[in-house]
Amino acid sequence: MKTISIILISLLVLLFSCKPVVDEFTPGSNHLDFSRFAVLGNSLSAGFADAALYRSGQEYAFPNIMAQQFKTVGGGTFNIPFMPTEDGVRPNTTSQGIYFSTKLKVGYSMDCLGNTSLSPVPAVENPDQQKLFQELLTSVAALGPFNNTSVPATGITHLFFEGYGVLNPYYGRFAENPPKDRLIDEPAKIDPTFFFFWIGANDALGYASSGGVQPLTPVSGPIGVGFDATYNAAIATMVSYADKGLIGNVPDVTAAPYFTTVPYNPIVLTEQAQVDALNGAYAQYNQLMEANGLPYRINFALGQNPMVIMDVDMPLPPPYEQFKFRQAKENEYVLLSIPQDSIKCGGWGTQKPVPNKYVLTELETANVESAVDAYNSIIKKAAEDFNLALFDAFTFIGKTTETGIVEDGITFTGSFITGNTYSTDGLHLSPQGNAMVANICIEAINGKYGSNVPLCNVTDYPPLLLP
Amino acid sequence: MRKFTILMLIIVFSTSVFAGGYQVRLQGNKQTGIGLIGTPLVYGSSSIFYNPGSLSFMEKNWHFEVGANAIFATAAFQKANSDYQAETSNPIGTPFNVYAAGKINKLITIGVGVYTPYGSSAAWDSDWAGRLLVRDISLQAFFIQPTISFNIKDVVGIGAGFIYAVGTFELNKSLNYSGDASASLSGGSSDIGFNIGLFIKAGDRVTVGLDYRSEIIIKVTDGDAKFNIPSSLESLIPTDNKFESDLPLPSNFDLGISVRVSDKVMLAFEMNWINWSVYDTLSFKFKEAGDLLDSKNPRRYRDSFIPRIGIEWAISKKVIFRGGVYYDQTPSNEDYFSPETVSLNTLAYTLGLSIEPVEGLSIDLSFLNLFGLQESRTYLPDNFSGTYESITYIPGLGISYTF
Repeated sequence: MKTISIILISLLVLLFSCKPVVDEFTPGSNHLDFSRFAVLGNSLSAGFADAALYRSGQEYAFPNIMAQQFKTVGGGTFNIPFMPTEDGVRPNTTSQGIYFSTKLKVGYSMDCLGNTSLSPVPAVENPDQQKLFQELLTSVAALGPFNNTSVPATGITHLFFEGYGVLNPYYGRFAENPPKDRLIDEPAKIDPTFFFFWIGANDALGYASSGGVQPLTPVSGPIGVGFDATYNAAIATMVSYADKGLIGNVPDVTAAPYFTTVPYNPIVLTEQAQVDALNGAYAQYNQLMEANGLPYRINFALGQNPMVIMDVDMPLPPPYEQFKFRQAKENEYVLLSIPQDSIKCGGWGTQKPVPNKYVLTELETANVESAVDAYNSIIKKAAEDFNLALFDAFTFIGKTTETGIVEDGITFTGSFITGNTYSTDGLHLSPQGNAMVANICIEAINGKYGSNVPLCNVTDYPPLLLP
Repeated sequence: MRKFTILMLIIVFSTSVFAGGYQVRLQGNKQTGIGLIGTPLVYGSSSIFYNPGSLSFMEKNWHFEVGANAIFATAAFQKANSDYQAETSNPIGTPFNVYAAGKINKLITIGVGVYTPYGSSAAWDSDWAGRLLVRDISLQAFFIQPTISFNIKDVVGIGAGFIYAVGTFELNKSLNYSGDASASLSGGSSDIGFNIGLFIKAGDRVTVGLDYRSEIIIKVTDGDAKFNIPSSLESLIPTDNKFESDLPLPSNFDLGISVRVSDKVMLAFEMNWINWSVYDTLSFKFKEAGDLLDSKNPRRYRDSFIPRIGIEWAISKKVIFRGGVYYDQTPSNEDYFSPETVSLNTLAYTLGLSIEPVEGLSIDLSFLNLFGLQESRTYLPDNFSGTYESITYIPGLGISYTF
């Protein structure tokens, strides 16, 4: 009896020490060398967010998240040219010169009608210009070489441009010799074993986010001019550094909240007198269009109305060029940069046409779409020709707008602020959006190379900060 | 005062997650020792739960029993395509049962039992990867069951019990807003049901038992919902809200047979059918801001069958060993598997020992060890996937006295 008790008790003790263990996944590189990971890209891979470049944004940048995941499969340190500030800096060209702004945050702002609402507001109002100038331009080149040499605002044609660092302070701040250096040469400085290259979005976005004012990068043309030749030259250069890597295609830039948040028809008329006054004012315009056999008419009614916008592409004969305005169509995008108070209190969209740079018209949208299509077939072919993994950003962004993507209980959509994908500038990724993209990139690498790089947890990254 | 007492009981009864949805079949330590088989057996007043029909076959005039178990349950998780691992740190569950029965005459026996047939708790770390699904949950139900049993000529027993059930639950989860936002839902209610059983003594060696326990739905009508959210959202989401939800406790149909193979050895077999398909969706309906908050969370449980086999070996009149094994097929759905109830296909064995130090007094020790088999599972609505495994130890102690 005693022996049996002792056996029973020891059995129990033994059993209690047994714990469930799940160890299904073994990280593995499948002979890929992740020890020196080089990244060349634009604002999206630099970690630009909330309309500025700042330290924690750079930390949350998806290439850095990927680099952390690579550490389980032989990845090395990932050196980033960190900004010296958490408030961030962005240079803006204005009619009075360069104005430096900080990042945005979600806060309360009061509009011209005295209504308070949640919206992106500057993290610092009227920031010290000298301080921001210093923060942006103080060179960190001595801390190099850097693994992440992504530079905001970079398009494909900038890569081979000697002295690009003089034009773009985001490059100038980490270039060793800004007047001479070319961005394409930067990744070589770490002698990479694996690379990520993601350029192309700005070649379409520059045009789209300026309402068609800045040019699209042409598809053909020599290196430094045309997308095709320059892209292939850039990839050939990257492959000469490391023959294995990942390249990303161009997302449908007009899917971002920067384009989809402000409706084309925000003009709400509640009184017949207003309607009559506006229609009276545009009677002459309508007569003129009819006389010239043109289909344009401006008509207001009670309820929601499309805004009156400038359209430089309207086919009007020379004496009537000042009439190149019309009402916006449902498939046209009003940009988030539009001063909302000008609509509410300044007569924009009713008495005054909305300036060209705040609207992406039907024709301009078609131009963007065909450019993105052309870039993406070049990128797809390059991935095949150079035998590289492809991050399909176009499909990812498409899914966020069409159905949304759910991951670990977070729903990623294209909605502004609430969609989790984008930061407060409506164009660049949020920390969780970066984590999602990091996972898609890792899946692309694992799929191509048979590696087993573990995915990150998107819930490890913070949601947008709300007051 | 009565409410307070009930509350105290609920806290004591806090049980832990293991297999078979959120059912806990620890309603008698003799039965626990023999593979949780009880329908075809005559184990005194704990038959109030297992089979009211066999209650009237108890040998003496009175039978009292108290018992408790300690549940040490751990579930481990690894995320799909990731080296991320997590483990529950569940509180120790302590289900509890009390029974009393007495014979009025040769024909009629009456009794009452208080027991805890359903319960689940899972506590994941507050920063774990599935925190937007669940951080911790505990649900308990305890039943009070007055019972009457008829003994017809020492061949057939028929019994019925009326069940008064009290259920409560609490759920905490994180919300994807800044400042560690979270939601806490808690509530409870009571409902009634019944338990009927038939017991047949087919000769000297064979007994057969049948039992049916009805479905009981715990309808929470005035649950408390508290939201800890950024102040800018408070105009959309009230921080103090009320909600309604239904938590089904499924019906059970049990069929068992026991065969006495010698004076000292008895074999027992049992099959349980549990109507888990009733647990299809966990819905929450909020009093305020319902458009935004109301949710229907699919669970898509399926009915489950549990085959059990057990053996009892009387070494002497005073020492009895028991053992059993069973396979509990999980009712959970592989695509709607929420980490709130880590219910996996489970293999289990049981051990039991009864000692009778003085006439009529029985000290019953039991030990139950469950192995939740490793499986990949997904909760599709939140796209949360990974591999789960669980191990549970449940030692138990019961004391009964009959005279």
